[in-house]
Amino acid sequence: MRRACVAAIALCAVSATPAEAYEFWVRTQSVGQVYQLRQYKLVGPDLFKGRRRYTQTLALRIDDIGDLSRSRRESRLPDRGLRISWQSYLRVDHDFGTFTSGRIRLSPVLRRDAIDVIPELAESVAGLDLAYGHVTLEGLADDRLTVKLGRILEDDGWQSLGVDGGSVRYELPRVPLAISADGGLRVRADSPMGMAEMELDGTSGAGCTEYVEAATPGAGTWQLVDRGRTITNSRLSSDYEYCPQRTMRQPTIGVELATASTKRFGAAIGYRRTWSETFGLIGESNRLDEPDRGLYPDEFGQAPDSGVNEERIYARVHGRLRSGELAIEPYANARVSLLHAALDRVDAGVRLVRGDHALEPSVAYFLPTFDGDSIFNVFSIEPTKDARLSYWREGAVRWRADAWLRRYAHGTGLSSYAGGAQAGLEHPFGDRWRGAIDALWDDGYGGRRVGGTGEVAWRAHDDIWLRGRVIVLGVKPDASAERPAYVTTSTVLSSSFALAESVALHVVAEADHDDVHDLQLRGLAVLDFAFMPEIH
Amino acid sequence: MKWVIALFALVALVVGATALAHDDGTAWSPIVYPEQRLPLTFSHRVHLAKGATCAQCHPAATTSRSAVDNLIPTELECRACHPIDRADPEKVVAGAPTAKCVACHPGWTSTSAVARVYLTPTPLKFDHAAHAKTPCAQCHGDMTKVDLATTRQLPTMASCLTCHTNGTEQRHCTDCHVAKPGGTIQTEFPHGTLIPRNSGMGDSHAIGFAKNHTQEARQVGATCTACHDRSECVACHQGVTKPMEFHAGNYLLTHAVEAKRGTPDCSACHRAQSFCVACHERSGLAPRVDTEFSSTMPNRAFHPANFATRHAPEARRNITSCASCHREDDCLRCHSNTMNSMRATPHPPNWRGSTRCKALDRGNRRACLRCHVTQDEVGCDWSAR
Repeated sequence: MRRACVAAIALCAVSATPAEAYEFWVRTQSVGQVYQLRQYKLVGPDLFKGRRRYTQTLALRIDDIGDLSRSRRESRLPDRGLRISWQSYLRVDHDFGTFTSGRIRLSPVLRRDAIDVIPELAESVAGLDLAYGHVTLEGLADDRLTVKLGRILEDDGWQSLGVDGGSVRYELPRVPLAISADGGLRVRADSPMGMAEMELDGTSGAGCTEYVEAATPGAGTWQLVDRGRTITNSRLSSDYEYCPQRTMRQPTIGVELATASTKRFGAAIGYRRTWSETFGLIGESNRLDEPDRGLYPDEFGQAPDSGVNEERIYARVHGRLRSGELAIEPYANARVSLLHAALDRVDAGVRLVRGDHALEPSVAYFLPTFDGDSIFNVFSIEPTKDARLSYWREGAVRWRADAWLRRYAHGTGLSSYAGGAQAGLEHPFGDRWRGAIDALWDDGYGGRRVGGTGEVAWRAHDDIWLRGRVIVLGVKPDASAERPAYVTTSTVLSSSFALAESVALHVVAEADHDDVHDLQLRGLAVLDFAFMPEIH
Repeated sequence: MKWVIALFALVALVVGATALAHDDGTAWSPIVYPEQRLPLTFSHRVHLAKGATCAQCHPAATTSRSAVDNLIPTELECRACHPIDRADPEKVVAGAPTAKCVACHPGWTSTSAVARVYLTPTPLKFDHAAHAKTPCAQCHGDMTKVDLATTRQLPTMASCLTCHTNGTEQRHCTDCHVAKPGGTIQTEFPHGTLIPRNSGMGDSHAIGFAKNHTQEARQVGATCTACHDRSECVACHQGVTKPMEFHAGNYLLTHAVEAKRGTPDCSACHRAQSFCVACHERSGLAPRVDTEFSSTMPNRAFHPANFATRHAPEARRNITSCASCHREDDCLRCHSNTMNSMRATPHPPNWRGSTRCKALDRGNRRACLRCHVTQDEVGCDWSAR
């Protein structure tokens, strides 16, 4: 973390040069949050852990670096030819509340810093994250080739991943197809300025163990990794946890063939593979009583040199048809995990739009899959299926209604179901007032929720917006949870003040109350700069 | 297999229906074409029937290079045929077209000013001169049936895309739309906000769009970042603040119901083994740290009675819910073939030799080695031994 900060500052310092002509757009947000999280107690009142978070974000776009499009722009011609741009999003996040900086009692006599016991808290105690930052070269090869270099975001429709590397997209001549490819290192929590949210799920950063062999092969045990090092007290990361496999680089490649420049339909088929080498020896080879063969058991070479973390193919197709006044928009998407030899995501539906009215029946299929290093993959067997019907209406008064039914497979053949419905409308009252209400009912697997929301928004002045919202929700956890039913109410007041052109202050206050706990408060303030500087 | 067949059937339906369907694109955005005031009496139908040509009245249309140019004929163009005389508002010339002021300016009197034509410039880039070889009717429609032309005679995006087929590619959006510094489309104007609706691009922002935009974002060639900076996605999906629209109310308390159901898909924004586990452990809900719950004391149990012996169905269908509190070590305590474990197999019947077993073993044996250590346990092809 500290190295990443120093590296970022050094890079900025070294690369700073006088600005040339280009267009740029900057958005910064300063976010302050104050709220509490409970520590649940069975006897006596819950304890509260404070969160005091300060977050600073910087989104930056630099367009047409080098002013290569100038002549065409001045001639009022569409952009063609090489155009270079930069996009990035940087975030600094710090929590100085007791939630992350407090201590945890592990036994009557042993207390440790929370971050030492729960390494994941390091992600919010002080995070310097680069979500993406890449240079884009468009308009190459007769305007058919686009190249991105840096930390790029790739998406297969179900997951976004960061890749430290590059991507190319080439539109084929004469046929409406484009082929894309990317490659590099998948962004992990351990990557420089990496975000944990982009890492494949399933493996954690605590209690990481290594296999310590015994005298008889196969009779060894898994033990916490002993690094044989002196523990230093760091406030930004766990002093004890060490997960070597989670620090390994994950090369990734992706290719996609997709329709390009089509109007009435689109289709794509793609492939992604991510892998990592197996971590070898930890420290000195003779530090253990028995021969040290590495992180995994490997007496007879059973530990592979590398392992696949994900390998998937996916396909997406949609259409945009029209029959008279009726627009018909079918879609279908599917993803197969080759690593699991299983279909893990499918959804399909059709959107029917006539005038202001839209109706959309859809179905979905879902099987949880995880990082190839995770044992959760062998537990996850039964898929979940979902069917839903949505209706909405545009216009001055806007309506929306949804109904759904979800089936959870059961090993014994007895499936569980959850179903429900939600409906709401939004109504303007003159130019400055707007009201909205909605109601929810759902029941079945997981529990029952019944409630509604009422909301009023008022533009008190050209530069001031005020909004109030009241939510009432009754919850009855399902029988298996053996928890009491409760009713919770929540009141939210928020406002936005336009302080100057493209500068705004947003303030939100939330008060929650329920049958089980006392009043809880949450405050949030955002100073939002999205200014448009003078064009050089 | 049924899913695969259904998927291919749907693909065939889409492709087939696409071939048969037509698109008449009938959307005029009030932001792209702001409200006009045209206090005029005029008939294109009549003028065209008498042999007038477009260029006669709109001479600048052949040379205009900006959509901001006002191409509505001035009195000068009208005078070519109409013997207008401002000094004689009631002038009638036998055999000549009308020259009366009120003939074109309804309600005009000698004591009132002529009602002005009011046009808000369209926030588009358009070069008439570059389209000089294109017949006017191709974009403006059949004017022989139109009296006073309004925004309905201006081309829709769908009609532009008839020729400019690459206009569906995001990088070409600003060929026509005005861009902000930074390259995204300018959407905020004094007369309103440009929001996609019936654009023919499948990107309509209907009510609840902030919560229900999965399909719009997932579709091939989605043009979201033509208007939105990618940071807007990250700020919500990988954000640090609770999105009030999505997680309304006392969500910390009530989220368990939705999380157990898996709808909405928590994994679209949260990583169970870091975000969820960290919070649950810090809240005393997860088993590793400072918790008052105990699996060995019935009166302090988190899970229902006998859950340890009957949790398998839950894990098989909803392991993500388990992974929001438990780390792999908790599972390995029982589900491992190593010495100190209970050696309870988590595998379903016929796991050995199954396609999935082979795929996982072939792809990443490291996960297998967490439980299976000895040579005779590793691998799936047991029949070969």
